[in-house]
Amino acid sequence: MLSDLVFRLRSLFRRNTVEAELDDELRFHFEQQVEKCIRSGMTREEARRQARLSVGGIDQVKEECREERGVQHMENLLQDLQYGWRMLVKKPAFTIVAVLTLALGVGANTAIFSIVNAVLLRSLPYRDPDRLVRIFFNEPGVGLRDVRFSKPELDDLQTRAGVFEDATPIFEGSENLTGAGQPERVEGVNASFSYFSMLGVIPQIGRLYGPQDFAPGFAPEAVISDGLWRRAYGADPNVLGRTIRIDNDPLTIIGVLPRGFRHPGPTISGDAEVFGAGGFSANPFPQPMRGARILVSGIGRIKPGLTLAQAQARLTAMAAELRHDFPTDYPPQAQWTIEIQPLQETLVGKVRPMLLVLLGAVILIAFIVSLNIANLLLARASGRQQEMAVRLALGASRGRIVRQMLTESMLLSLIGGAAGIATAVGTLGFILRFVPSNVPRLNEVRIDWVVLAFALLISILTGLVFGLAPALHSAKGALSSAIREGGRGSGYSTKTGRLRDVLIVSELAFAVILMVGAGLLLRTLRDLLQENPGFNPTQVVTANMQLPNSNDTKTDPYLDIPRRAAFDRELLRRMKAIPGVELAAITSALPTTNTNPSAVGGLANEGFAIEDRPVESSQDLHAERIRISPDYFKVLQSTLLRGRSFTDGDEDGKPLVAIIDESTARKYWPTRDPLGRRVRFGKDPTKPWTAVVGIVKDIKSDGLDIDGVPHIYVSTYQDSGKRLSVVLRTSLPAALLEPEIRHEIQSTDPGLPVFNVFSMNDILDRSLASRRFSANLVGGFAGVALVLASIGIYGLLAFMVGQRSREIGLRMALGARPADILKLIVTKGVVLAGVGIFAGVILSASTASMMASLLYGVRPHDPAVFVVVPLLLFAVAVLASYVPAWRATKVDSVTALREV
Amino acid sequence: MPDAHRIDLPQGTLDLLILQALALEPQHGWAISERVQQISSDVLRIQQGSLYPALHRLQRRGWIKARWGVSENNRRAKFYELTKSGRGQLEVERDAWVKLTAAMAQVLGTAREIPTC
Repeated sequence: MLSDLVFRLRSLFRRNTVEAELDDELRFHFEQQVEKCIRSGMTREEARRQARLSVGGIDQVKEECREERGVQHMENLLQDLQYGWRMLVKKPAFTIVAVLTLALGVGANTAIFSIVNAVLLRSLPYRDPDRLVRIFFNEPGVGLRDVRFSKPELDDLQTRAGVFEDATPIFEGSENLTGAGQPERVEGVNASFSYFSMLGVIPQIGRLYGPQDFAPGFAPEAVISDGLWRRAYGADPNVLGRTIRIDNDPLTIIGVLPRGFRHPGPTISGDAEVFGAGGFSANPFPQPMRGARILVSGIGRIKPGLTLAQAQARLTAMAAELRHDFPTDYPPQAQWTIEIQPLQETLVGKVRPMLLVLLGAVILIAFIVSLNIANLLLARASGRQQEMAVRLALGASRGRIVRQMLTESMLLSLIGGAAGIATAVGTLGFILRFVPSNVPRLNEVRIDWVVLAFALLISILTGLVFGLAPALHSAKGALSSAIREGGRGSGYSTKTGRLRDVLIVSELAFAVILMVGAGLLLRTLRDLLQENPGFNPTQVVTANMQLPNSNDTKTDPYLDIPRRAAFDRELLRRMKAIPGVELAAITSALPTTNTNPSAVGGLANEGFAIEDRPVESSQDLHAERIRISPDYFKVLQSTLLRGRSFTDGDEDGKPLVAIIDESTARKYWPTRDPLGRRVRFGKDPTKPWTAVVGIVKDIKSDGLDIDGVPHIYVSTYQDSGKRLSVVLRTSLPAALLEPEIRHEIQSTDPGLPVFNVFSMNDILDRSLASRRFSANLVGGFAGVALVLASIGIYGLLAFMVGQRSREIGLRMALGARPADILKLIVTKGVVLAGVGIFAGVILSASTASMMASLLYGVRPHDPAVFVVVPLLLFAVAVLASYVPAWRATKVDSVTALREV
Repeated sequence: MPDAHRIDLPQGTLDLLILQALALEPQHGWAISERVQQISSDVLRIQQGSLYPALHRLQRRGWIKARWGVSENNRRAKFYELTKSGRGQLEVERDAWVKLTAAMAQVLGTAREIPTC
């Protein structure tokens, strides 16, 4: 309605005129009334009195008129904001403390949520990301997930299954990059020619693969990332057509990917930078037979209109058909099957528990901060009792007072929120440096409008939490009593008192939850650090390299075992010659770095058979196979329990030998002596047997927090691979040795990049980075919670002492000793702390199991944590109540009583 | 102290009374309350506390408009007059009121005799 709008706008913008007119009008009314009374024979004095009585409260009328004009809310808001601002400025100490703690609470929430949002919530940055899935081939019958697959099985996915628009195998791995400056180690991806069109990528310059590039083996072209383009070629647009060598194979660069593109896979040491494509059916790939399972992992795009469940059902059905059609390729007990999972889930599923725990921790911090401020505000509200009572008496409605108080708190929370967001924006880059690099999608973390909306929501919620209690409290205050009491500090009134008690108790309970969480995480970390990894990591330096995996076998200098063994021996000779190196050895898997032990992809985990055991049962035998040189256990100072180590003589052409660890012995020879028994790797019955010659103590090859994976060690001179690490026993630091190591390795082959030269202790440390990050962060928050909770208790009791100084004075005048007073106050603190801590322990006990997946060696209800945390908090609480209690004993009874 | 013969205004009747008071000619606020009081033989009395908020409300709805003028005793006063839609509204409310009172009388009449005065 136009008239309505015009009227309201006039009221709002010509407010002074409108108010003046109302004044005039009411005065006119009043004077008319006076004249009427005079006409009826009263004196002027009497007439004025009568008129005033009949007219009623002028201010109330004005207030109601304003209300009817419909701009009341806006006007009130402005007024309240001005008033609130004045109150905040008037109490700078309170305001600074409140804004700082709020900035901490909101800032922490904003920062953590920006990570959660980028990693867990935001869709993957590809075309129709919801239809992208990771394809797994599983053999649940033998407890294997994510086994390799063959070219014919890939064809089945693409044509027979009828659920994929497209599907491609993915090879992820490190490659040696030469031909672009220094030899460099880069992450590479090899996939089908449809990889880019499936993800929906458009090149920055040049072009991407398409069907026209098809080659049965590998295509001789490469697409490179924006990062590599800038780093190695200075963003030269003429890079197209240039040749780079990847593992010695010359590839022509045909395109550069856009800046933000990232391969949707795990990153070991960085983002994939070189993208190749192939047909997977000709050299270097074997004949496409069903049993030739050489493809490592696959992703696919589900056809539109199909749900994930429908697609899964069809794939399960197809797997059953295939098992039926090819019984020799799919032995029934393996129960070979196909599983799909949303790509996003496979990327971020592992870090979800950690991120959710962190988010929970920051939300708890926000709660604690807001309860703390609520308490401060409530203390202030009690001090403003009188002000509110006067306002009520002058005709302010209770709703109006609640609104005013809430506006004040909202103003405070929004200022704190803005400070928090500013803090988060300013420190996000810094914080991200501490986030472990195994968290995917960190490059996508930024403060966008979703994060800002969340930060605003948190600010408003905290404002509501800490504003509502004092607001309702102020409006409730009984009128007459407040005015009467108001003359001097009234006693610690029970109503406010109870509200404040509840706030403190909840604050303590939340603090307990945070501290228990932190305790469990820190204890896990400490246990892992103290855990004996099965070797001595001090004074060991490691370096990694990978012999090139040439697609062209004719140019491969490391093609067969004798050639690789020769390289290994030369490498070890040179390493031992470095001054300061006592011992040197080679391994295919450094301790704690084998990231995916259950997958068959990374290491040779092709299964083995045991001599003299029925073939069927041998199908289930799996162990991680690690290739080592003779001195490996000596360098690591691991304990050889029985038998012998490898020698230089365990080489190609001699009887094959193996050393097993205790887990393998326990799992596969539970009742018999494994020494001298023979095993055969793979399924080929013509392959020779390998004899077990030794048993070694378990070494934590797969991570400090992973137990019980069986390992079989073989001699690198008999079964050498291309991925290798050197381990050196030396008292020199890694940084000092690195140039020497690099020099020696590159004098044997100048094209071999050497990467990740670290001390063994650093490697153990890095393997715990993610745990350390979450433990330290939650631990820090728990510390903040502890401080806030003790401030809360202290503040409450100090306020109580102030309010009750009259009573305390009276008690002392009547003969109470300081010890009695002390007891009175401390008891109050102790009772509050006890109730809060008890509630917190109950809450923690019921929620701790949510953290189970983040714990190792510590049960979610670890008794030590559940004893230490309450005791610590209790001690702090007692200390915090002792100070105000002690001050209470110093109350001078004469002064206190005279103040009445 | 409320006089015994005065009755409180039933909910929603205030607007109708004001509109009716303005039906003849524009009036200022005080005159409106006086007029209602006179015509109702002192039974209905509009308090200032409810009169002025109501006037603001009716203005906002566009049923009355205000302009400054000169009162009978040569004072500056704010005069309210009915707008076109206000006149329409008066009709509507009057009809509704008549219907309501008739219906009320009927209902109450079956219960007991209305004492005549």
